[in-house]
Amino acid sequence: MAYKFQFRDVFAQQDAIADGLVLTLQLSATVIALGFVIGTLVAAVLVYAKPWARGLAHAYVEVIRNTPLIVQLFLIFFGLPGIGIRFDVVTASVLALTINLAAYTAEIVRAGLESIPKSQIEAGVSLGLTGPQVFRHVVLLPALKNVYPSLTSQFVLMMLATSVVSQISAVELFHAGSIIQSRTFRDFEVYTVIAVLYLGLSLVMRAGFSVCYRIFFRRS
Amino acid sequence: MIREVAWQDVMYLVFAIRWTLLLTLLALSGGSLVGLLVAAGGASGSLVLRNLARAYVGLVQGIPLLAWLFIFYFGLSIVGFNVPPWVAATVGFSIYAGAFLGEIWRGALISIPRTQWEAGLAIGLTYLEQLRHVIIPQAVRVAIPPTVGFIVQLIKNTSLASVIGFVELTREGQLTTAATFQPFTVYLLVAALYFALCYPLTRYSRTLERKRRVVH
Amino acid sequence: MSFIELKSVVKRYGTNQVLRNVDLTVEKGEIIAVIGRSGSGKSTMLRCINGLEPVQGGEVWVDGVAVHDASADMRALRARVGIVFQSFNLFPHLTVERNITLGPMIVKGMPGEQAAALARDVLRKVGLEEKLKSYADQLSGGQQQRVAIARSLAMAPHLMLFDEITSALDPELVGEVLLVLEGMAREGMTMLLVTHEMSFARRVAHRVIFMHQGKVWEQGPAKDFFESPRTDELKNFLRAVLH
Repeated sequence: MAYKFQFRDVFAQQDAIADGLVLTLQLSATVIALGFVIGTLVAAVLVYAKPWARGLAHAYVEVIRNTPLIVQLFLIFFGLPGIGIRFDVVTASVLALTINLAAYTAEIVRAGLESIPKSQIEAGVSLGLTGPQVFRHVVLLPALKNVYPSLTSQFVLMMLATSVVSQISAVELFHAGSIIQSRTFRDFEVYTVIAVLYLGLSLVMRAGFSVCYRIFFRRS
Repeated sequence: MIREVAWQDVMYLVFAIRWTLLLTLLALSGGSLVGLLVAAGGASGSLVLRNLARAYVGLVQGIPLLAWLFIFYFGLSIVGFNVPPWVAATVGFSIYAGAFLGEIWRGALISIPRTQWEAGLAIGLTYLEQLRHVIIPQAVRVAIPPTVGFIVQLIKNTSLASVIGFVELTREGQLTTAATFQPFTVYLLVAALYFALCYPLTRYSRTLERKRRVVH
Repeated sequence: MSFIELKSVVKRYGTNQVLRNVDLTVEKGEIIAVIGRSGSGKSTMLRCINGLEPVQGGEVWVDGVAVHDASADMRALRARVGIVFQSFNLFPHLTVERNITLGPMIVKGMPGEQAAALARDVLRKVGLEEKLKSYADQLSGGQQQRVAIARSLAMAPHLMLFDEITSALDPELVGEVLLVLEGMAREGMTMLLVTHEMSFARRVAHRVIFMHQGKVWEQGPAKDFFESPRTDELKNFLRAVLH
């Protein structure tokens, strides 16, 4: 092999990498928080609401889950301006990623809600609790606990998927790659380093979710 | 020049589906080979093999698909292969799909209860015969619904091949947008075409899942 | 009007007729045991009384509330009617204390400290004061059922419904639960029990109801009921269960 790997050039660009990393973290945190809350509400609609509302929610979930994220992103960032709605890069990114995550979250949380035995709900209702009260105090936490692994896996996947917004020039970690690439011409090394950083992020996230589980769901 | 989206454009988009499906097929083939190895290793009795399989899956799943595509696109040309985008895409997708398929299939294998192995042993079958006649047929039935579900993921994932220049449906959409300046219509169309591909498969995988649960 | 009145109650599950013209009255302070084969409709009748099951025909009046009417304020009624289930149905993610204080605090707006004191009181009544901070899966079946009773008692109900509450318990744990029930009976609670515990019914109940094929087949004072059954169906049933 006549090629010499030059990682040092890449490491010299640590500012670009650091800036990209920060935006990736901000995007991930925002999207996960929003996507989780919205997704849980949609899940509640899917399980408890009137048929017309359930139908709408179902349609939303199916459309998002059966089309690629990058196409959803392009539709929001490039397509909407065609009918007069313009978003800046970061807003479009958060919008597209959140709409996407909420749909996947809704499916997962829905399964969790449906896994709670009817007898639990009857016990709550028999005490005089209203529907929303039963949801909040009796159903929600056990449901989330049941689907915690799938849910947190989805969150980690979303963090990795934020790389796709590099394609609308959001200056996150993956986009830092193309910046460094044009400066150093070290294509392979750049993306290897970035890949390792993503791997590190995903490992830290998983560990973090493990800790969260013990805090929220561990009993004395 | 701004022009309306003509039937011609729609046809180009529809025909681009060929490449999406072709790439999906290539990814499925390559991914299956890798996946079989990962599943076999992950379900085996050897601690070393199991850890290797786990490490592979952990590594691949911890890195974005885009990164894998770029690594292979640039990496392969370094090692001397001047590869067209479709080769880089195929290798990248195979590595990526192999990890996910391996996990699904490993799960299917280990879901077969120990008692099935013992029953096979009791009538005198060897390890390979047990696998072939008792375990794998049952594992395949368990594995089919999630595998079909994953094929839907693959179809969607091929959209990322557009980023390294492979002309499939998404890239064709970008080109059509550049030609017609009608991004809303074009991307809506592209989304609709993906939906037409994926939704029937999603429904099918759910029917399979339901049938399996009824039987067991 | 009596405390509970069922008039010609009809209940169907699809094409399956579970309750056929059930008539029943219960006065305040009465203790009623409901016995019968599985499928005779006894649990269903109980669940119709607190509105867990809707009825397709007839009227269900509980403490002046028309339960059969879809617009009735069931929430207010349910705060006055306690029900204990065969499978306890404790909330697994909450402590025993929180299981008990949930209803009073949310439905009645009781402040936290008052609710905590209430929880201690009802737990003392069922003999489980020391289990305040335990979780359901740390308790035996009999203990869980007693906590379930305490949870209902915390709402200060006027009526208690018991749906075969000892059927899922190991035999040696049944006694501790029946003891609690006897205590409640002594204090004058209106109680409706679907049960298989015949000797308990004979000892503690005022009146016994035998359900058969979705109807109230025979009923009478507990003293005579088991000694002198009048209908053949009841005679056969008693012969089968009292061997």
